[in-house]
Amino acid sequence: MNLRELTNTEAMVEALKEEMTRDPSIFIIGEDLVAHGGIFGQFIGLPEAFPGRVIDTPISETCIVGAGLGAALTGMRPFVDLHFADFTTCAMDEIVNQVAKIRYMFGGQAKIPLVIWAPDGAGLSAAAHHSQSLEAWFIHTPGLKVVSPCFPYDVKGLIKTSIRSDDPIIFFMHKKIFSRKGPVPEEEYVIPLGKAEIKHPGTDVTIITYSIMVLHALEVAEEMEKEGIRVEVLDLRTLWPMDWERIAESVTKTHRVIIAHEACLTCGFGAEISARIQEELFDELDAPIFRVGAYRVPIPFSPPLERFVIPGKESLKKTIYNMFGKEIDSK
Amino acid sequence: MATTVIMPKLGLTMTEGTIERWLKKEGDRVQKGEPLVEIITEKINFQYESPASGILRKILRHEGEVVPVATPIAIIAEEGEALTEIEGIMPEIQVEPTAPPLIHKETQAERSERILASPLAKKMAKEKGVDLRTLRGSGPRGRIVQADVLKAIEHLKEKEVPSPPPVQPSSGRLLPLRGIRKIIAKRMAESFQNIPHFYLSVEVEMTALQELRERIKEEIERRLNIRITMTDLLVKITASALKDHPIMNSKFEEDQIRLMEEINIGVAIALEEGLIVPVIHHADKKSLGEISVALRDLTQRARGGKLSLEEVEGGTFTLSNMGMLGIDQFNPIINPPQCSILGVGRTVEKPVVKGREIVIKPMAWLTLSSDHRIVDGATAAQFLNDLKRLIEDPVLLLI
Amino acid sequence: MKGDGFMEKDSKTWLELYRLMVKIRRFETLTGELFASGKIPGFIHLSIGQEASSVGVCSVLRKDDYITTTHRGHGHVIAKGGDVKKMFAELMGRETGYCRGKGGSMHIADFSIGILGANGVVAGGFPIIVGAGLSIKLRGTDQVAVCFFGDGASNRGPFHEALNMASIWKLPIVFVCENNQFASTTSVHYSTSVKSIALRGEAYGIPGRSLDGNNVLEVREAAIEAVERARKGEGPTLLENRTYRLRGHFEGDPQRYRTKEEVEKFSEKDPIRQFQAFLKNQKILNEKSDQEIWNEIDQELQEAIRFAEESPFPQPQDALKDLYVEEGESLIQRRLV
Repeated sequence: MNLRELTNTEAMVEALKEEMTRDPSIFIIGEDLVAHGGIFGQFIGLPEAFPGRVIDTPISETCIVGAGLGAALTGMRPFVDLHFADFTTCAMDEIVNQVAKIRYMFGGQAKIPLVIWAPDGAGLSAAAHHSQSLEAWFIHTPGLKVVSPCFPYDVKGLIKTSIRSDDPIIFFMHKKIFSRKGPVPEEEYVIPLGKAEIKHPGTDVTIITYSIMVLHALEVAEEMEKEGIRVEVLDLRTLWPMDWERIAESVTKTHRVIIAHEACLTCGFGAEISARIQEELFDELDAPIFRVGAYRVPIPFSPPLERFVIPGKESLKKTIYNMFGKEIDSK
Repeated sequence: MATTVIMPKLGLTMTEGTIERWLKKEGDRVQKGEPLVEIITEKINFQYESPASGILRKILRHEGEVVPVATPIAIIAEEGEALTEIEGIMPEIQVEPTAPPLIHKETQAERSERILASPLAKKMAKEKGVDLRTLRGSGPRGRIVQADVLKAIEHLKEKEVPSPPPVQPSSGRLLPLRGIRKIIAKRMAESFQNIPHFYLSVEVEMTALQELRERIKEEIERRLNIRITMTDLLVKITASALKDHPIMNSKFEEDQIRLMEEINIGVAIALEEGLIVPVIHHADKKSLGEISVALRDLTQRARGGKLSLEEVEGGTFTLSNMGMLGIDQFNPIINPPQCSILGVGRTVEKPVVKGREIVIKPMAWLTLSSDHRIVDGATAAQFLNDLKRLIEDPVLLLI
Repeated sequence: MKGDGFMEKDSKTWLELYRLMVKIRRFETLTGELFASGKIPGFIHLSIGQEASSVGVCSVLRKDDYITTTHRGHGHVIAKGGDVKKMFAELMGRETGYCRGKGGSMHIADFSIGILGANGVVAGGFPIIVGAGLSIKLRGTDQVAVCFFGDGASNRGPFHEALNMASIWKLPIVFVCENNQFASTTSVHYSTSVKSIALRGEAYGIPGRSLDGNNVLEVREAAIEAVERARKGEGPTLLENRTYRLRGHFEGDPQRYRTKEEVEKFSEKDPIRQFQAFLKNQKILNEKSDQEIWNEIDQELQEAIRFAEESPFPQPQDALKDLYVEEGESLIQRRLV
């Protein structure tokens, strides 16, 4: 296997290029895509490579998602760019009432091969309207599948699978990981939806997490090793369908669980995972389940405020100490 | 005015009841006569109706708790009505002779000494036979965690204390024991463990009894609009036989045997949720028609879950007929505190030797299980033979 | 009703239009009766009085053309060629219904004949029709997409986004507003900033025409033009079919927002009565042949009702099917107890 490194953005562009070459029914639609290859450069090179198949739209989120839906219903495979996850709210009726429900309402008559791609996450002083992590809303909505990977390898494999899926997918990517590099093989591959992956094996506590929090968890795992606590980091990659088997396997091994996400703690996905663990694996638990997430406030602008609100490495460490009944090192 | 709901006494012998399920929540409005709480006694499930209308302000005793009769279990009052005075009189109510306040205190004490242990530690301790009370927890707030249990197990091994054989973790679907099932589990296990059972079997010819049933069937149907069954006849015959063998109609107490005055025959009925044994009181004094009517009524109400406590209490002998289930012969378990139970198998046409000839006759097996502390084989055999004689020649009933 | 001056004088087509209108009228009337007798659960919206619009437009469409419709969509489905058996079965929540009992009155679709679905959300069809139009354009076919909507929907955001997008991309779409005078209980005169909804086309560079929506021939003629324009790639058209909803917003609507007299006045403009008189006048229809049409349609509908009534209800656990193309327990979280 070739060990070349790509950024997450490059991995995504490569996935789109391969898929668009393979299947002419795929097109990309959204605001400000053509001039710069997307505001994050996330589609760089594609407008030139596929003229007419990367489509700029007016600022009309409802009809952008709706256009994706209508096209998906009539034989196309649209890839919708929503600019920022925060703008899903402008298309919420389309996503929740139409995209998610149309197949079901019509008794299975329709297929919706649609990807809605939305950059999420905080940490860039983008303030309250450009920093949210909203995955829980969509996991809560029957009919959608939700993906949120963190490494270039996973991004590429999951973008390809999402495009090929006949069910609608909300694909979140944290803005802070766009330029992060990682190995991506040159050979073609796909990653099935709903498969979590252990990114760091351990025996004492499992951190179940996804998106940028995986990176924090990995750092913590390294540090904890020195203190004799072996942390297992389970990267969900796909949030729905949730890889319960992997979760159960890991919990049964370590008997201690922390669930971490950048989204606000209250009614976050961690609550769901935690509830299910205690329902089904109660007797496996050697400690209460802890969750790590943001405070329940909008994401503030000023860096010290923002850093305080969103969770990171330190919150994870504190939680582990708390769990093991250790005093927090004050140095 | 506020009303204190107490654990009702649902039958003569009832001393305590288990709160199976509250049918109302605190804060719910209840009407007098509306089902309020499901109570299980040793014998039945019972829906207790609210003694008053108002708001269920306080539930004093919770699901699963065993509560002595007449102990307050809830308070019903109007909205906003002060409960302080009620609370004031509560201790007085508790000074009921049948309500031992000690038990209450003990559970309270246990509560405060609750052992903090993780679910995993608890499971593991149970599996390995480790007493959690002997451990000190190393987890936060002194919680016993897996590591503590593992250490204890190591320690036990070192001391070479023979540990109980490890319980194989079993797979399969779990059905929680509830209601009747729970009672059956408890009572049957107790009976089988504590009562030295012995079994006598005899095969009886059913020709005469079948003929008798044919002869009186229509008359009974005409008069009572009911179809008489073999079980009805067997109840009558058993009651009659018991009159001549009072020792079989007895119960075992601590150091004595109590001969019962009444002959009350329990008849085992299989319900979906489990076995129930309604009782035909004074079976020896009832006519066949009366027995038939009573048994039909009890069976129907048992199926609807509508038996009262009295109707399942006070049995002195039990009859279990599994003939209709296609069973030839079986050894029933005694229904404590009775002395005996009779198991009746199905009637089958089969060759038997009469004189020097082989003839086809309807035959059935009877099996009598008896408490060896009360009777010996010979005594029970006499009773069983009398029973056989009456079945084969029911005219004797007239004597 | 005027009949002169129309381009096509084809008595066979006219009779077919009439037949379809009668079919919708009888379907809606029987549906109302079935609802009243408790055979249809939920709630229903009938399109009685608006038949000329559905038939006038859909009669111009091909099988592979698309439509989206609304909560008041039975007429459009029938006019586009929908199967009344599957419709009744769906209304009654049966296994044999269009959506196997998952949709009901407000969610009937038939993808095999281009019906992309009725919609429970007012203005829900606009974004979808833009996607269908875009898809036609990207695939390079000459299909046309028609979006039916009401006067109320023209006050929602998606209308404006969709008209703009369809216009800038010259999508092959016909926007058909059925202005039946009321958004639920609210009069269009109160809720709408312009005298005619057709005027709103101009704001987006789309030709708008306001029509007597109760005159099936006038509607059809305008639809022929708009559909042709769309097929030729010249872009979208906005048609406003002025009509009147003769029944309540939903069955059981107390209708305190209008008077009996008003409803009676508009009953005289009933599109079916008008067309019937016109056809008789033209000697295309007589008392006898008219009666035959009504009888035949009733027979077909009664059979369809019988089919629906004899059809089984879906199995309760079928509620867990049809959500995703992919199947799997992990997608539909199971309950532990």
